[in-house]
Amino acid sequence: MTETEISRVVKDSIVTILPYVDRAGIRGDCNLKDLGADSVERIEIILVIKQRLAIDEPLARFSSIANIDALIRFLAEVRSA
Amino acid sequence: MRGEVPTNGSRSVGIEALNAYCGVACISVREIFEHRGLDMKRYANLSMETRSIGLPIEDPITHAVNAAKPIVDALDAEARASIEILVTATESGVDYSKSIASYVHAHLGLSRNCRLLEVKAACYASTAALSLAFAYVASGVSPGAKVLVIGTDVALVNARAEYLEPTIGVGAAAILVSDQPRVLTLDVGAFGNYSFETMDSARPTADFETADVDGSLFAYLDCFSQSFADYATRVDGADFAATFDYFAMHTPFSGLVKAAHRKMMRELHGAAPAQIEADFARRMQPSLVFPQIVGNLCSASVYLALASILENAPIEGPRRVGLFSYGSGCSSEFFSGVVDEGAAAAMRAMRIGAHLRARHALGFGEYERLLDDNLRCLVAARDRVVDARHSEAILARVKNRRRMLVLRRIENYHRKYELI
Repeated sequence: MTETEISRVVKDSIVTILPYVDRAGIRGDCNLKDLGADSVERIEIILVIKQRLAIDEPLARFSSIANIDALIRFLAEVRSA
Repeated sequence: MRGEVPTNGSRSVGIEALNAYCGVACISVREIFEHRGLDMKRYANLSMETRSIGLPIEDPITHAVNAAKPIVDALDAEARASIEILVTATESGVDYSKSIASYVHAHLGLSRNCRLLEVKAACYASTAALSLAFAYVASGVSPGAKVLVIGTDVALVNARAEYLEPTIGVGAAAILVSDQPRVLTLDVGAFGNYSFETMDSARPTADFETADVDGSLFAYLDCFSQSFADYATRVDGADFAATFDYFAMHTPFSGLVKAAHRKMMRELHGAAPAQIEADFARRMQPSLVFPQIVGNLCSASVYLALASILENAPIEGPRRVGLFSYGSGCSSEFFSGVVDEGAAAAMRAMRIGAHLRARHALGFGEYERLLDDNLRCLVAARDRVVDARHSEAILARVKNRRRMLVLRRIENYHRKYELI
């Protein structure tokens, strides 16, 4: 799966949990807080992404990821491992 | 009761009595949001109505004694003398050496032939102590022995804590462990643990706590999944959806418990949203009634949730409860036990719901005046006289106030108390 495809899954997952977010406005340097997600919504977004990408990484490994670009790179690494 | 958990043929052991003390004052969580200018959109996900707040005349010792005294006073002399171990579990220690248990032991009038100790493992500490207490009683090394475990904590928050401020409660839960488990009969040998080093939240000084919110919530969820998985390796056929009638969870805020339940029902059972919602209302919601009006009771949180089930759920016949405890840093445990109508009656006799409803609801200005004093609660002082004027004005407005222990002064580092 390419980073472009992972990016699509990430953005789809964000708008699933945060329907008020404009998909086109999700920039790589934003983080989930910038997009208005509270702590429970951030959990839900990561869980949906994990489910859609069929990855079984501990949630704790997602806690220090700085922004959407870093999240996509991390997911790509996990998927290729 | 669905599901079968083996008892390994061991003697009956569990919780004989349980009580919680959660202060005499509270504040509306909505008011905190409004006055602090917090985002109201987040209010819904917290699912909290009020938080308990301590008074300057209260500390972890008074909370512990005020929770345990109704249990101890109800015992006859022989039963009281059979309390062989007193453990205080806290992240609110008042001295690097002297345990809170030493003060609590004196004010409860327990036997001098009693072990005293204090344990620390953030919000997991009570459960850690309880697991060891269960094993002590079950081992039979001292037949008829009882162990009193008290989880007790204070809150160190003000405006700088942002979204943490509205979620933190104060108080204590006292749990009497014995071979006469009237409140909860332990499923002996049915437990699972998961622990790893992480800096998700901590209390690095006596007047400050720090939290990495995402780190803490993600660690909580990983620990819930993994400690249940470890439990399932010990209990044949353990099934998250079918084995347990209720859950009592460590409850930092109700929204997290809801997310944790949803995660397990999706991942383990592929449940649809409507099914998850109905299951949450049936098996989880009874445990949240008290936490939603108290806040996070730290080390005592799981046991306030258990009391909430017993006072608020329709318990007719034996019901299995799954209990999950998580402490930052981090360590966790999932274990289970059985409750019944007798347990619900024993719990109702403690009148925790009435105690919570009797708390005085503070206005925001009065609430804020307490915060600076409360931040000094654990700070070492050689000598200090507690200014009780504001506290006593609030106490005078508490309906049907019970007798309670209060802090009067500190003399040469020694805390002095009075029962009023």
